[in-house]
Amino acid sequence: MAQRSSPGAPALPRAGDMQRKRTRIAYLSLLPVLLILLLVKAYPILATIYRSFTNWDGLYKHDFVGLANYKEFFGTGLFMTLFKNNLVLLLSVPLQVIIGLIVAVLLYEQVPGWKAFRAIYYIPQIISLVILGYLFRSMFSLDGPVNKVLEALGFSSSVREWMGDGSTALPIMVGCITWYSIGWQTIVILGGMSGIDPSVFEAARLDGANFFQRTFKIVLPMITSVITYCVVMAVVWTFTSLFSLIYSMTGGGPGYETMTLDYMIYEKSFVTGSQLGMACTISVVLFIIVMLITAAEMKLSDIAEQKWG
Amino acid sequence: MKTSLSKHQRFWRTFGRVVIFLVLLILAISFLYPLYYMLINSLKSLGEYYVNPFGLPREQLQWQNFITMISQFKILKLFGNSFIISFFTVLGLVVFGTLASYSFAKVNFKGKNGVYLVILTTLFVPAQVTMIPMYISFAKVGLVDNFLGVVIAYWAMFLPETIMLMTANFKSIPNELLEAATIDGCDYIGRLRHVVMPMGWPAISLTIIFFFISSWNDLFTPMVLLKSMDKRTVMVALSSLIGRYTGDPPFQYAGLLMSAIPALAVYAVFQKSIVKGMSMGAIK
Repeated sequence: MAQRSSPGAPALPRAGDMQRKRTRIAYLSLLPVLLILLLVKAYPILATIYRSFTNWDGLYKHDFVGLANYKEFFGTGLFMTLFKNNLVLLLSVPLQVIIGLIVAVLLYEQVPGWKAFRAIYYIPQIISLVILGYLFRSMFSLDGPVNKVLEALGFSSSVREWMGDGSTALPIMVGCITWYSIGWQTIVILGGMSGIDPSVFEAARLDGANFFQRTFKIVLPMITSVITYCVVMAVVWTFTSLFSLIYSMTGGGPGYETMTLDYMIYEKSFVTGSQLGMACTISVVLFIIVMLITAAEMKLSDIAEQKWG
Repeated sequence: MKTSLSKHQRFWRTFGRVVIFLVLLILAISFLYPLYYMLINSLKSLGEYYVNPFGLPREQLQWQNFITMISQFKILKLFGNSFIISFFTVLGLVVFGTLASYSFAKVNFKGKNGVYLVILTTLFVPAQVTMIPMYISFAKVGLVDNFLGVVIAYWAMFLPETIMLMTANFKSIPNELLEAATIDGCDYIGRLRHVVMPMGWPAISLTIIFFFISSWNDLFTPMVLLKSMDKRTVMVALSSLIGRYTGDPPFQYAGLLMSAIPALAVYAVFQKSIVKGMSMGAIK
């Protein structure tokens, strides 16, 4: 083997030349990826950061205004209005992780048909959030099926336009996001559980541990790194990927009642159109939030690693 | 172990498994119900829908909701647009991703870890953060209202995840195979074709399926980058169309259901490899 990889034939180039050639070929094959990421990711990020300090309107104005956008964004309370909605939607994260964990433990019992169940639970993730958003909106509309059921059950006073008010629309969104995400959480957690020695379960069962003790006292501590991963992915996803759902369910309204940070970037830049500087400022704030969460994740999984190995 | 259980214990264990089965079954029904609901109601007349939103259609089936979708709203043309974008997105991801991931997994070169880390850090950059400058640059070079613009935006969005997935998988390809291929006269590209592609197929196929579905379902990027009516993707067209027909839910459901079918069909065929890939926690 060693003979093959370093043949002593005189015609072949020296080791240093080989290394240089290898490096050249490697960078050549990385070139498309590096170019794309440089032009379509790195440059836009830097441009966004720079533009966040200007009064850019996309046409004529692009004067440097220092921290004016940031002062306006935080000073007028706009940030808190949007961030509060983000936080409400984040309530879905503990729900989806806990339900996902419970469902994963149930699937782990491998009752007949468990593979089919697992495949079915992932179906919502295959359907576009645009479709699910419109579906939920029509179910909760004034003459929709939810109100029909309420009327039939004699709760006529509860009949309302559910999406017409942030205090009802946001909880419905939390429910929708949770329902949508359970399948992903279940499959990832179940994947993490496959590393646990089955005899641990058997021992726990013989010791008389009930279902919830098994789930939260035995399984949970053994898969902390998977759970951390699930939580962080869900948090980042909730901050950045709900555009389609909000667009189809409420469009961010009424007013800003269901508007989130990421949706506001779209609103300020591509709907009202003239406040691109401010849109860049919101982008930078969102970017920082996401980076902080990611950094916290690395820190947390380090701690988890040390504590539970 | 099993033999040590008493009759009593065995009864409770069977009972427990029946309960678990029922819980899982109810959950499964809750996940399938929206599809069922869209299907039964898309086949009802508006009048029947308001009287009977939960039951099966009792009157004659209203296929014209679907026919209108095809003849008037040209949904098949929209499928075509979405398909072109998803196809080239996935093609680029596989070509660029395989090239890059092979280098990261199997070639020793200067600065490897640094470059890999930089690529991974772009993983968490939200699409909204880069969209405005990207839009302005794309407008200058004619990539707005152009499928290629959307495809390039998707490449940038999905390549970091693709590379992470493929690199992890390619690392498990035995070095001996690559060396044997070299001795048989394979050059760099030959090794990629004859060793890396077949051996790394689980990661490559997962990339194809997963990002085909992701790009098919996405709304934000094509909505911003595509302007003219005849270039819109299914989701973009749907987002403007459905909102105008809130008075006719059966028609809405027909459109929503039809748009969901292509991605669901892909999932139905490749369900096993998707679930397997997810279990490795490789992708969100």
